[in-house]
Amino acid sequence: MYRRALSWLLRQTLKLDVTINRVYPTDWNPLYYTGGLTNFFLLVLVVSGILLFFYYVASLDGAYASVAYLTDAVPYGGLLRGIHRYAADAFIIAALLHLFRNWFTDRYLFSRDGPWISGMFLLILGGFIGVNGYQLVWDTRAQAITQIFVQMLRAIPLAGPPLAHLFLGGPGISDALLPRILFLHIGTASFLYLLLWWHYVRLRHPKIWPPATWVLTTLGLITLLAALPGTAPVAGVPAQPGVGVTSYPLDVFFLLPFWLTNWLPAGVVMGGLILLFLAGYVIPYLDRETEPAMGVRHAGVAQVIDGNCTGCELCYYDCPYDAIVMVPSPHPGVTKAAANRKLLAVVMDSRCVECGICVGACPFEALELPKFLEADLTRRIAQAVAAPASQTVTA
Amino acid sequence: MAEPKVVGFVCDWAVATEGLTDGDGRLSAHPSVRIVRVPCSGFMRPDWLEETLRAGADGAFVTGCPYGDCLNREGNYLMRDRVEQLARRLSRRRVEAGRLAMLAHGLHDRPAFLEDVATFLQRLAALPPAAPSRPARPAAPAGGPAPAASTRPAAPTGSVTPSEESP
Repeated sequence: MYRRALSWLLRQTLKLDVTINRVYPTDWNPLYYTGGLTNFFLLVLVVSGILLFFYYVASLDGAYASVAYLTDAVPYGGLLRGIHRYAADAFIIAALLHLFRNWFTDRYLFSRDGPWISGMFLLILGGFIGVNGYQLVWDTRAQAITQIFVQMLRAIPLAGPPLAHLFLGGPGISDALLPRILFLHIGTASFLYLLLWWHYVRLRHPKIWPPATWVLTTLGLITLLAALPGTAPVAGVPAQPGVGVTSYPLDVFFLLPFWLTNWLPAGVVMGGLILLFLAGYVIPYLDRETEPAMGVRHAGVAQVIDGNCTGCELCYYDCPYDAIVMVPSPHPGVTKAAANRKLLAVVMDSRCVECGICVGACPFEALELPKFLEADLTRRIAQAVAAPASQTVTA
Repeated sequence: MAEPKVVGFVCDWAVATEGLTDGDGRLSAHPSVRIVRVPCSGFMRPDWLEETLRAGADGAFVTGCPYGDCLNREGNYLMRDRVEQLARRLSRRRVEAGRLAMLAHGLHDRPAFLEDVATFLQRLAALPPAAPSRPARPAAPAGGPAPAASTRPAAPTGSVTPSEESP
């Protein structure tokens, strides 16, 4: 069931690519750069966020006034706020596209689980930072989502009430709240870069920057949304302590769980979120296909043939996952070419994705995929070349 | 004239050939083309392509995923470079560079894949017939028939993308 659904989704994703690739040259397909776009939006968020930070006052009385001052009195202040808001939406959209695309196209298989796990952390923290951003404005919406969020926290068994106390900085909403949220907003955002290091660490040339066309197009789109009268962020109603909030404008990309509390108890929404994210962490460990069905795609971790390795480093430079390390050669190789080697290639099992790129890189026949050997391939070549071509139509 | 004998190495994540081939991997549309599935286009060692030609095939091509979409991130770019280098190396040994091609097609790009294969076959048909089984060393002058000299400069650079020079 899961397998069937995923192969259907894989087919649809790649069909979409065929369509898009008719329009753009293939290396421009925006769906090939969802990760790079996410990274770009994060940079936009950091830069605009630093500028916003200069104007922000983190107190219950001053927060709303400082944001209103920035929006109305500071030149381009409203535009800056709008850019920060829409870049955040774009960040989540691009991150979700990145997640679903890599899920549907099997890009989490074998030892690619590191990027997947760090990516889940990035997504959860990114969403959390976004919610914090809406709280910082401290209008009626901020007040409402703070209340709902505290209810959600309190619904967690055992750890919930202390967490809510920590989050609020006291038993209820006080002046301790906004400095905490500001720290959570900026501190967690800085922490994203540590997670990004984990996300990239085993990729040889990560695509962290999309083509200039897409950088400029998306930046223009964000600026346009931030500047147009219909979509530019408007000042909400300042929060009034003690007054219940009945309705507030919704941002579907960050505040969807809060919207669900209209019908469900906060505890159920929190439980659902936790389950959803736990399921996300399990994805790379679910069976995608049976082993026989994978065939040559699951050819086993590459093996170095010690006697043939000359220490030339070609595989080391070509491996896209940094799975090959060169170590000082403990003993000379067997072949003439390998007799005077200084280095020996070693494949790290925990990083190998069984692609065989190192096999193609090695001119000395010193690497093999255990379930698809050079001998297998040369036999197939010989069969293919030896077979008569003409009588095949009936076969 | 019979269609040129070709071996195609197709990445197993790239274009799906189920339904296009019979049990032995022959393309139904072009029975002289045999498909061999490999784990990634980057798995192909240039030596093996050379070996394929030496064993008597008229041409060989490698098919990877669309550029930018390699499941293993860089396999198709690396293979494109390797095919280019091998083509240059072979043309110094009087083997036409046009006998090699690098194609890039996604799982569902079958029509475009078949079109590219057909173009490749046409290009091979225009080349002089390959020597049946070349010696391992290119030094023996018997391998290069004289008429080959006039056609050799025909496709030195366009060898990687056959679609560019469709007649």
